[in-house]
Amino acid sequence: MATPVAAVEVKEPTPRRLPQRVLPGFGLTLGYTMVYLSLIVLIPLSAVFFRSLGSGWGHFWDVVTAPRVVASLRLSFGASLTAALINVIFGFMVAWVLVRYSFPFKRLVDAMVDLPFALPTAVAGIALTALYAPNGWLGIWLKSFGISVAFTPLGIVVALTFIGLPFVVRTLQPVLEDLDREVEQAAATLGASALQAFARVILPALWPALLTGFALAFARAVGEYGSVIFIAGNMPMKSEIAPLLIVTKLEQYDYAGATAIAVVMLVLSFALMFGINALQNWALSRHGGR
Amino acid sequence: MAAAEARIDGRRAAPGRLLLIAAALLFLGLFLVLPLLAVFVQALAKGVSAYVAAISDPMAWVAVKLTLTVAAIAVPFNLVFGVAAAWAIAKFEFRGKNTLITLIDLPFAVSPVIAGLIFILLFGSHGWFGGYLKAHHIRVVFAVPGIVLATIFVTFPFIARELIPVMQAQGKDDEESALSLGATGWQTFWRVTLPNIRWGLMYGVLLCNARAMGEFGAVSVVSGHVRGLTNTMPLHVEILYNEYNYTAAFAVASLLALLALLTLVGKSFLEWRQPELKHAARQAHDRTRREKT
Amino acid sequence: MSIALRGIAKQFGEFAAVKDIDLDVPTGALIALLGPSGCGKTTLLRIIAGLETPDEGQVLFDGRDATLWPIRDRNVGFVFQHYALFRHMSVFENVAFGLKVKPRRERPSSAEMRRKVQSLLELVQLGWAGDRYPAQLSGGQRQRVALARALAVDPDVLLLDEPFGALDSQVRHELRRWLRRLHDELHFTSIFVTHDQQEAIEVADTIVVLNQGRIEQSGVPGEVYDLPTSAFVHRFLGQVNELPVHLRDGRAFLGPIDISPAADVRTGEADNIALIRPHEIEIGPEGVGWPATVVAVRVIGPIVRLEVCAQGLPTNEPLEAEISRERYEGERFSVGQTVGLRFRRWQVYPASGVAA
Repeated sequence: MATPVAAVEVKEPTPRRLPQRVLPGFGLTLGYTMVYLSLIVLIPLSAVFFRSLGSGWGHFWDVVTAPRVVASLRLSFGASLTAALINVIFGFMVAWVLVRYSFPFKRLVDAMVDLPFALPTAVAGIALTALYAPNGWLGIWLKSFGISVAFTPLGIVVALTFIGLPFVVRTLQPVLEDLDREVEQAAATLGASALQAFARVILPALWPALLTGFALAFARAVGEYGSVIFIAGNMPMKSEIAPLLIVTKLEQYDYAGATAIAVVMLVLSFALMFGINALQNWALSRHGGR
Repeated sequence: MAAAEARIDGRRAAPGRLLLIAAALLFLGLFLVLPLLAVFVQALAKGVSAYVAAISDPMAWVAVKLTLTVAAIAVPFNLVFGVAAAWAIAKFEFRGKNTLITLIDLPFAVSPVIAGLIFILLFGSHGWFGGYLKAHHIRVVFAVPGIVLATIFVTFPFIARELIPVMQAQGKDDEESALSLGATGWQTFWRVTLPNIRWGLMYGVLLCNARAMGEFGAVSVVSGHVRGLTNTMPLHVEILYNEYNYTAAFAVASLLALLALLTLVGKSFLEWRQPELKHAARQAHDRTRREKT
Repeated sequence: MSIALRGIAKQFGEFAAVKDIDLDVPTGALIALLGPSGCGKTTLLRIIAGLETPDEGQVLFDGRDATLWPIRDRNVGFVFQHYALFRHMSVFENVAFGLKVKPRRERPSSAEMRRKVQSLLELVQLGWAGDRYPAQLSGGQRQRVALARALAVDPDVLLLDEPFGALDSQVRHELRRWLRRLHDELHFTSIFVTHDQQEAIEVADTIVVLNQGRIEQSGVPGEVYDLPTSAFVHRFLGQVNELPVHLRDGRAFLGPIDISPAADVRTGEADNIALIRPHEIEIGPEGVGWPATVVAVRVIGPIVRLEVCAQGLPTNEPLEAEISRERYEGERFSVGQTVGLRFRRWQVYPASGVAA
């Protein structure tokens, strides 16, 4: 070998050691993150579970199966499901139009889609009530068809549709934007009609995002309070949503009851969240996309 | 080939396309524009002087001040957390990263009412720390500290989930470069990292603030509704509305609606400045997942 | 400053990036770490810089054990493949960064700083660019700023990670010459990583060829090119023709041809491969040497590449031969013509690729 050799001391080989982190601050930032997370989120959330199950499984079951509670849960989940479905259909339409077509003020419309994110729920609540009340702009018009929205479960669906609107649109938009136009063109050169291309090429690429958007809209709607309580009738067994029932029980100092309902809602929300996560994991491994 | 392109390009003015646009706009108009319009119309229904009177009502002002105070505390707390969490997640490898990101997202899955409930369970008179607080004459629930805590919980993930993908996208090169030039960790952070993430930071703060000021459910549970003391603006709106004082309710609501519009404007501006922000939050998970594969 | 590596090993999860590396870099040398992607060259560079810590082994700076020294204390200048310029700072501020973050007592005055930064910018021929921002510069200019920035803190050694990888071929060519001249002027110890063997040959004093985490061979460019010790090195630097060859009774046979007089045999096995470079195949008129047919002629600037199909050789692919333009102009070989091949020198390696 013609490598020039420098004079160097021969040292004993050092034993294996743990890898150091090169950038500073790992311990500090991760430590702070875990502490803050525990104090603000994990410990308080655990209080619900401890409190509820502390009074015994039997009592928990009694509360959760009481007719009023069941009715409120059914209403919350049912209305959320309906609203999420409406949002899937129309949200898809909106996302499609925003991504694929151009029209005047498109940027403005696109920005507006985020309004439900930005607008305080109480403001949305009273605004929707004003619109759909029997003497409201839309309420009057709907009454002539015999439809009343405000103070009925239908009003709840309307409010939840408002709340969930951005979720489907914003989840679909990036996926639609990423769709490779060339794949569609390839389908066309192979003889597919527009409808066939849509059903066989576009839709399959979209449905993970659609499902995710649906799940997000649904999850958000289930726990929604502020925008709903003004427009709902809040009548027990008929138009009382689960979060309202929790508040009512709290005001009566029925902690066991309130926490029991909360546990049910939390368990279902977490299950939904992990489901969404698993869906995205799967979509990523399968399609490399969302 | 041309015919095929024409079929799917949608560039021709097909009636189907126009119909679709019209339907989408109708839907948005019905669900978004009308409610927004209703707020302002109702607020001004009794004339400008009534509007001004409602806004300058002292109780309204107290609510405004409280809302601003709560936001001024909650946002910086979550800001520091967001930066710390994003630094740990974006610049280092460790096990359980995805779990951590999921945990950070947890408050999104919690109903606002439950967010209020948990702090009552902790700090209410029958709560875990109730006895201790009572003995020391500290009021948390039904007082401002409780409102602050509930707001921090509800806005917890906002800044972190905007920053994480931004910092992940930027990688470690700049920081390694600064270190190789002799900078300390703090110098690197202030001079190199922070300027690099400033748009993402502003974006996160904007969204966090909008939610902090507008939060209703959680604060409603935790505040005790004491007028003039523990009422934020959204709660004040509710009180006015329940008293059938519609004009005043909508007047205060219009302030919040203006805040929402300002937030949207700020959001659009920042997205224009740094387009990656638009879909940032989704990417936090995707990127971390891709790292593992 | 001299650098020595002793027994360096590094794994990323299951993947062993670097296995048992020993290397000596004398003061003032300009060394290229050359190899395909995944061979561990960048990992090695980053270990020297302190951007990774080795699982085993030592890094010695002038004989002192620097293995656990943090990056800040190593006084190395590092130039990244994608420059890593601070985009919100001007060119001037970028170059001045290392000076600005020095602890108070070591920090030069702002007048001194300005002087030093300006002279560095002149050195890299960007004296006019001080107020510009990285986004306003071309790739080649940005890389020069990155270099100036690294030099600003008077590093003991300069480490460059594929410094010209992201640039156009013409710019790359210019910057290679420029880096070589800069090094000749300033004599700093320098190690750069590249996968481009042309670059390594043109720029470096010594080439260290890496493959799968180990050093295959190191030496001056001429030596690594002309006297490769393994088929991998032979293939990696420059073009080769490759044919199976059998050893029988102490002689090497390429099909029916006995190539023993022209072969360097480094193996005792029966099945081997023989490598020969295109310019080591001599093309002559028919009848002189092994008969072959010309199947393609390509004029590439100063050289002419001929593809020839030799009859009876154990291969379906044509051999590639190179001759000078002058020679071609003289003899005007054409497609279909029968010529005679003479092989100047074959290198024979075991089929596994490792020299005996």
